[in-house]
Amino acid sequence: MAGAIIENMSTKKLVIVGVILLLFQVFSFLVGGLIAPSPTTAVHYMATKCVDVRKSQQRSKWFMPWGPNQCNKIRDFDEAMVRMIEANDIVFAVHIPLPNKEMSPWFQFMLVILQFDIAFKLVNQIEDGAVVTIDVGLAYRDDTVSDWTEMAHSIEQRKLSCNFTTPKTFENEGVTTSATERKRVNVGIGEIKDIRLVGIHQNGGFTKVWFAMKTFLTPSILIIMVWYWRRITLMTRPPVLLEKVIFALGISMTFINIPVEWFSVGFNWTWMLLFGDIRQGIFYAMLLSFWIIFCGEHLMDQMERNRFAVYWKQVGPIVFGSFCLFIFDMCERGVQLKNPFYSIWASDVGTELAMAFIIVAGICACLYFLFLCFMVFQVFRNISGKRTCLPAMSKARRLHYEGLIFRFKFLMLVTLACAAMTVIFFIISQVNEGHWHWGDYTVQVNSAFFTGIYGMWNLYVFAIMFLYAPSHKRYGDEQSNGDLGVNSGEDIQLTTTITHVDGPTEIYKMTGKGAQE
Amino acid sequence: MTSEYLLRTLLMLILALFSANASNWLYLAKLSSVGSISEEETCEKLKGLIQRQVQICKRSVEVMDAVRRGAQLAIDECQFQFRNRRWNCSTLDTLPVFGKVVTQGTREAAFVYAISSASVAFAVTRACSSGELEKCGCDRNVYGVSPEGFQWSGCSDNIAYGVAFSQSFVDVRERSKGLSSSRALMNLHNNEAGRKAILNNMRVECKCHGVSGSCEVKTCWKAMPPFRKVGNVIKEKFDGATEVEQRRVGTTKVLVPKNSQFKPHTDEDLVYLDPSPDFCDHDPRNGVLGTAGRRCNRTSKAIDGCELMCCGRGFHTEEVEVVDRCSCKFHWCCYVRCKQCRKMVEMHTCR
Repeated sequence: MAGAIIENMSTKKLVIVGVILLLFQVFSFLVGGLIAPSPTTAVHYMATKCVDVRKSQQRSKWFMPWGPNQCNKIRDFDEAMVRMIEANDIVFAVHIPLPNKEMSPWFQFMLVILQFDIAFKLVNQIEDGAVVTIDVGLAYRDDTVSDWTEMAHSIEQRKLSCNFTTPKTFENEGVTTSATERKRVNVGIGEIKDIRLVGIHQNGGFTKVWFAMKTFLTPSILIIMVWYWRRITLMTRPPVLLEKVIFALGISMTFINIPVEWFSVGFNWTWMLLFGDIRQGIFYAMLLSFWIIFCGEHLMDQMERNRFAVYWKQVGPIVFGSFCLFIFDMCERGVQLKNPFYSIWASDVGTELAMAFIIVAGICACLYFLFLCFMVFQVFRNISGKRTCLPAMSKARRLHYEGLIFRFKFLMLVTLACAAMTVIFFIISQVNEGHWHWGDYTVQVNSAFFTGIYGMWNLYVFAIMFLYAPSHKRYGDEQSNGDLGVNSGEDIQLTTTITHVDGPTEIYKMTGKGAQE
Repeated sequence: MTSEYLLRTLLMLILALFSANASNWLYLAKLSSVGSISEEETCEKLKGLIQRQVQICKRSVEVMDAVRRGAQLAIDECQFQFRNRRWNCSTLDTLPVFGKVVTQGTREAAFVYAISSASVAFAVTRACSSGELEKCGCDRNVYGVSPEGFQWSGCSDNIAYGVAFSQSFVDVRERSKGLSSSRALMNLHNNEAGRKAILNNMRVECKCHGVSGSCEVKTCWKAMPPFRKVGNVIKEKFDGATEVEQRRVGTTKVLVPKNSQFKPHTDEDLVYLDPSPDFCDHDPRNGVLGTAGRRCNRTSKAIDGCELMCCGRGFHTEEVEVVDRCSCKFHWCCYVRCKQCRKMVEMHTCR
């Protein structure tokens, strides 16, 4: 047992592995781009103004905007005035989905944006910082005939953010207004013409493709994980920190992969969304920690590391930042489990709190990246320092050292490429309108982004576990002309901290090779 | 005697055939007495529709209420946009709705066609969103109208349906005439330009809803502009409309700018064939009401100023008492109660 697979593998094999991974990568992009529809759909709804006749006769609390048992509708507020209907008795009703459509658990989530159409009237202007109070209820039924079951009811307040670009002197100049009411509810918000809604839900097709991908990826990562751990336990020495971290990375990847979402199709598990966020957060935190420790362990200085405690300074911000985001997410999505109309952004205190969490998390992220960049810089400085010693060595050893450095740099490059790919695709998906037309084919860029990036990080974790698993290949098998009995201080210096717990019996890399021969 | 009678009948028929124009369906807006158009029989009774439009009405009777709202919207917007001009889009209670001006290939006709095709698209799209129509959306999707299609990939925007309906309903008159006459080409072009005024001014709105509300997952959609915006755009196109003539290019006939030095019009521009009359004098034969009795602005140098509005005929000035609303109070809920203030103002009207 000596070294990791990446060091012992011939370049040819490395290229083969790379090509195979690249094929899978392309495949994962194609799955999203060609098979899956766009990730989400936005549907427009227009609220129907129903007249609440409950006061005169006891009837259902819920109003149907269309279909059988339609409510008593009015077209606009002028009609209401003519018919002497008070605004208090007008209910804006929306039925989701539109006629002949059906909701499905495959949609996973739905969020609705409320938009007010407010007519500008000089006699009834929108005050600065106007707050609208919404008495809102949500009910469901499983078929088109059964009764409605109330899901949530709440009285919510939202700030109106209006922008009125044209100058406010249109007609009716010189009319001033002052509001004097007992109850100042929904006063000073202008004249509401209509309420429009935009309902966003995940597309069923995308959910299916996503689940299928997760179901396929789970065993592949699980298998490599088991294989990896078996390799480590086969060694006589206890696993080093980097190996443990890689294994933890595998665990967090598996955790995110396990397709527990399948249950949400059959069961009414509304917390799945929050759970998904948490899993994603854990993976991100793990990945960031891995990079720090990976760099630290390749620093090639004489410091004793190999302990997690050494990295508290770098990992601390990650943990703290993730914790902040976790609290924020609990405050938003956690509370939404109880009250779906809740938003932390609705109140001033909530907004400040949320901003505080996000800013702290942002500061943590900045700190982390400073640390990371500094460490990467140090690694490269040490590598170039070592490189100056290379010409003094014999040819075979030099080639091997150069190979080592190349492969280390290669992995750094892969990481950078993955990160760059993520950023580039993120930007593309943000800037683009979501799909490209390629002749007769429509490529769903956003879906391709999700599946491609998800597949990419899976392949990344897979590759790391595979290439950094301890190799059982002996150096002697691979290279016949070793350097005999070389056990100089220089070589020990060159070895990374991955090895130094191995002790002299399991000397790693060149030193180990020399000892074996 | 009989032959004279026959000839006259024939002449009337021909006249009726040619004077009838495609914007007659706007008369729907005037038919408030009909109530809701919910049965196929009602379609036959609707005045102003041509046979093909009656067929469409029967086929999709649920849409007709929206079409009527669209017609009303078009007239209101037209009157708003032209409130300060000599031709102020005033309607008659007979056919054709806007008088004969619109039956000629004038600039004004171009505006009416554009705004009316846009208003139908707009009203139908809104009706779709409120769930009034069952055929909306999804019809232009790869996976078809089936519920599975909706589950798999959602629906297309309602605007696609609104525009498609406008194309079939409003354009049908010109299409049935064939694409040979220059008027048909002009009307079709302006209809399309009206719809483009909506399509090219759709606002893109986005919402981020990734982990913790990050923009990792972002959904964007296109929202229709307010109809006032559409009206403004078409009015701008009206001001910059291109005078065209028909020319044969290869086997097809196309409209090209009369003045070859002008750059060719785009899909969004309005085109017209005939210059407009000056709309100054009352001319019942052409359906021009004239500007006599219209109010004008004495200080303005623009078209709403008395100079131009009254075509140099001069104007009356009189002191009138205007009852205005003032010191209004808003009451819960939801009406505004105002005091009545009286003041004397000078009113100018054209001679």
